[in-house]
Amino acid sequence: MTYLADRLVKTFPGVRALDGATLRLQPGSVHALLGENGAGKSTLIKIMTGVLRPDGGRILVPRDDAGAHGKEPGPATDLVKGPSDTDAGLHEVRFSGPQDAQRAGIGVVHQERNLIPAFSVAENIALQSTPRRRGLVDRAAMRELARGCLDRLGVRLDVDRPVSALSVAQMQLVEIAKALATDSRVLLLDEPTASLTAEETEHLFGVVRRLRDEGRAVVLVSHKLEEVFAVADTVTVLRDGRSVAEAHPLADYTQEEIVNLMVGRAHAARRLDKAPVAPGTAPALRLDGVATALGHRDVSLSVRPGEILGLYGLVGAGRSELARAVLGLHPVTAGTVQVHGRPTRITSVGQALHRHRIGYVSENRKEEGVFLQQPLTRNVAVTVWNRLSRAGLIRDRDERDLLTTYQERLGIRLSGPAQLAGQLSGGNQQKISLAKWLAADCDILIIDEPTVGIDVRTKAAFHELIVHLASDGLAILLISSDLPEMVTLADRVLVMRDYRLTGEVANDTHDYDSTSRAIGHLLHAAAV
Amino acid sequence: MSRPPHAPPSPPAASDAALPAPDPAVPVPVRALPLWANPRLGLLVLLVILVVVFSSLRSEFLNTSLTLEPMQADLSVTVVVGLAQLSVLSLGHMNLAVGRIAAVSAFAMGWAYDKLSVPLPVGLLIGLAVGALVGAAAGWTIQATGVNSFVVTLALDFGLVGLVSLLYSGVGDGVAFHVHPAGMDSLRNDTFSDYCTGSVCGPPVPLIVPIALVAALAVGLLFRYARLGREILMTGSGLKAAELSGIPTARRVVQAHSLSGLLAALAGFLLAINNGAFSADIGSQFLLPSFLGPVLGGTLLAGGAVSVIGTVLGAAITEVIQTGLTLLQFQVEKLKIFIGLVLLAALSLDRVRHVVAERRGGGA
Repeated sequence: MTYLADRLVKTFPGVRALDGATLRLQPGSVHALLGENGAGKSTLIKIMTGVLRPDGGRILVPRDDAGAHGKEPGPATDLVKGPSDTDAGLHEVRFSGPQDAQRAGIGVVHQERNLIPAFSVAENIALQSTPRRRGLVDRAAMRELARGCLDRLGVRLDVDRPVSALSVAQMQLVEIAKALATDSRVLLLDEPTASLTAEETEHLFGVVRRLRDEGRAVVLVSHKLEEVFAVADTVTVLRDGRSVAEAHPLADYTQEEIVNLMVGRAHAARRLDKAPVAPGTAPALRLDGVATALGHRDVSLSVRPGEILGLYGLVGAGRSELARAVLGLHPVTAGTVQVHGRPTRITSVGQALHRHRIGYVSENRKEEGVFLQQPLTRNVAVTVWNRLSRAGLIRDRDERDLLTTYQERLGIRLSGPAQLAGQLSGGNQQKISLAKWLAADCDILIIDEPTVGIDVRTKAAFHELIVHLASDGLAILLISSDLPEMVTLADRVLVMRDYRLTGEVANDTHDYDSTSRAIGHLLHAAAV
Repeated sequence: MSRPPHAPPSPPAASDAALPAPDPAVPVPVRALPLWANPRLGLLVLLVILVVVFSSLRSEFLNTSLTLEPMQADLSVTVVVGLAQLSVLSLGHMNLAVGRIAAVSAFAMGWAYDKLSVPLPVGLLIGLAVGALVGAAAGWTIQATGVNSFVVTLALDFGLVGLVSLLYSGVGDGVAFHVHPAGMDSLRNDTFSDYCTGSVCGPPVPLIVPIALVAALAVGLLFRYARLGREILMTGSGLKAAELSGIPTARRVVQAHSLSGLLAALAGFLLAINNGAFSADIGSQFLLPSFLGPVLGGTLLAGGAVSVIGTVLGAAITEVIQTGLTLLQFQVEKLKIFIGLVLLAALSLDRVRHVVAERRGGGA
C-alpha cells in the first residue's frame, strides 16, 4: 500500500526546483518532509497533489486506489518494475488536476486555509463530497458525514457554525476532517503548527497519531524540529531538489544531524567581497529593546553605514512586520528607535522617507513595490515629486532624466520611459522598486526578500548590486528566508523566530557550511 | 516588431529576464499603440462624423442661436459634472452623490444671494466651499471606515435628497430662489458676440463656457503635472504601494473627494445660471452624464488613469447625439433608447480597437 513519488524532476524558468526527489510513504506512519526554503518541498507537495505536473519521474499509487481514477499513462506501464519489491502492485498515475490526486486518495492541508469562511463546518467538510438527494443537497446526510469525520478525529465541534467563527486551530482540524471526507489515504500537512499554541499543537498531534493508527500515511512538513521528533516515525530530507535522506527511520538521527543534512550544500554559496565596516562607525539605525503591538519583544539591533545586516527567519517569524514597525506602519510600544544617533518616533512612511531617509523595498513586488499600471518614470519619481516640482508643477523631462540615471546605474532593461512597470520582467521590476529609494537619497535601506521569484542569473546580478550599494555607504537591513542569499551578502546575520531574535552569527569565516549550520541551529533550536 | 538579428527567435518575452548583463546600449523597440488606436482620436473622429451627419440631415443643427449656443451652455455643465466624477474615478472610487452635492451647494448659493445679497462671485465661493466640505466628509468617511465609496456616496445621496427638500421648504416658495444677483442674467443670456469693439465682435460663445474651460484646464494640469494629482492617481493605482512609497493616502482620498464635491458645486452653479434659478431639482439629472463623459473618454473605472480631454470629448459626443436626435424629432423615450445604444456601440468599438491594437503590437 505504498505511495511513491519516484525521482521527480521539475524545472521552472532558470531554476531546477526538483532534481530527482523521491518520497516513499508507508501506510500507518507519520513521515516528516524536511528541507530549507527553496529545497523543493512545496514543489514536491504540489506535484503530489496534482497542482503541478512533473517534467520527469513517476507517481505510483496502490492498484486498488488507482483503479478507475487516475489517467493511465499508456500501455505497458501497468507492470511497473520499481526499485524494490515492495513496489509490486503499484500503479503509475498522472494527475491532470487536484481532483485526480484527491480521487487517488491524496489529501492536503495547506498553510493558507482552504476553507470558505461563510460556509458552515459541515458544508466545508462535505464540499467535495456533498451528499445529494434528487439533485438537492441532503443537509441531514451532510451533517452526519461531517460529524462522522470529526468524531474519527476525536474533535467536538458544532457542525453548523460558520468557519469564520472558528479559531485557527479549529479550522485546521476542519481541513483535516475535509480530507477524511474524501477518504484520503495520504494526508499532507504543510506547516500545520505555524500558528498554533503548544496546547493546540499537542491536540493536533494526537489527531495525527490517530490517523496513523487508522493506517493512513501522514506527511508532516515543519520547520520545528522538536515537534518533528515528537511525532514522526520516518524522515525525508530535501536539499537542492534532491532527497538526501530517503524514508529513513527518524530515530537514527539527532536534531543536529538533521540540520546538517538540510543545510549541507553541494555547490556552496560564496560570500561576495565587500570592504569591512570601519570599527567605531556609528550605527545609522539602531533598535533597543523594541516591542510592538504585533508581538515583537525585546528586539535590539543596529546597522552601520556600509554594512549589510541580515535578518533571517521563516515566513511569519515577524521580520517584515518589524520593518513596517520601523517605518511607522505599526506602533512601537516599548524600547527606542534611533536614526543616526537621535531617538525618533516614526509615525508614517512619508516621515521615514522625507525626514529620516529610510527606504523599504517590499517583499510583495507586484502589490507594494511597483505600480504595475503606471509608467516607469512615475514609478521611480514617486518619492521625489516634492523635490522635482517647480511652482507646483513637475516637468516630464526631470522625471525622464531621473529614470535614465537609475536605468544606467542599476542596469534596468526597458523599452522607453512611458513603458508600464507591469511590462518589465520581475528582476527589472525589483530594480525599479529599488530605484525610487535611491532617487530619494535614502541612506538606510530595508530590503525584504529581494530575489523571490527571480531567476538565478538576475539574482546574482542583484546580489552584486546590493553589495555595491553597501560599499557606497548605505546601511542595509536585508530580510530573507534564503540561507545561501544570507551567506552571500550579509556581514552579520540575526535570526528571528516568533517575533523575537534568537541570536546572531558573524558571517566572516568564508566557510559556507559552518556559517549556515550556526544559522540553522539558531532557527531550528527549541524555543526556550 | 523588429528585433536584433542575433536575438534568438523564441521565446520572445521571457528571454529578457534571463539575459545576464543588462546592456542599456541595446535599444529595445518601443511598443506604443498605433495612432488609430488612440482612444481620444477615435472620439474626435466620431464627433466630427456625428456633426456632419446631423447637419446634413437638419440644417438647423448649425443654427447659432437655436442650436450651437444652447449646446455650448449645456456642454459646460456636463463637462464639469464629468470632471467631478473623474476626480474620484482617479482613485478607483465613485461619487454617486454628485447631483445632490450640486443641489445642496446650489441651495447655499441661492440662499446667500437671496438672504445676504452677496455679489455673484462671493456666492459662488460659498457654494464651492459647501460642495468641497460635503465631498471631504464623504472622503473622510470612506477612508476612516473602509466602506466602499459606492455605498458611502449612495447613502450620502439619499440623505441629501431629504436635506435639500427640507431646506427649500423652509424658504421662499419651497422649490427655488428666484433672486437674480447682478451679472447672472448676462452670464445666462450673453455670448461674446454681444460685446463688440467697433465692428469687431467676439465669437458666438456663451459667457459661461470659459468657466468650464478653466475648470477643465485646472483639473488637467492637476492630474498631469502637479504632485497632488499624481499622488491621487498613484493611490488609485495601488493603495499599498502608494502608502509604502510615502504618499499620505488617507489625505489624498479626502482631497480627491473634496475636489469632486467642489466641481459638483461648480456644475450646480452653471446649471442654475442656465436655468435662471437656484432650484431644488438642480443636479437631479447629473448622475448618468457624470460617468458617460469620463468613461467614454478613456478614464479607467479601476482608478490610476484619467483623461480630461477625453472627458470633454465624451461629453461633447453625448451632447451632440442628444441635440441631433431632438432635432430629428425623436420622442423623448425613443431618444433615450437611442442614446443608450449609441453609447454602448461607442464603448464596444473602443474596446475592440484596443484589443486589436494590442494583438498587433505583440501583446505587450
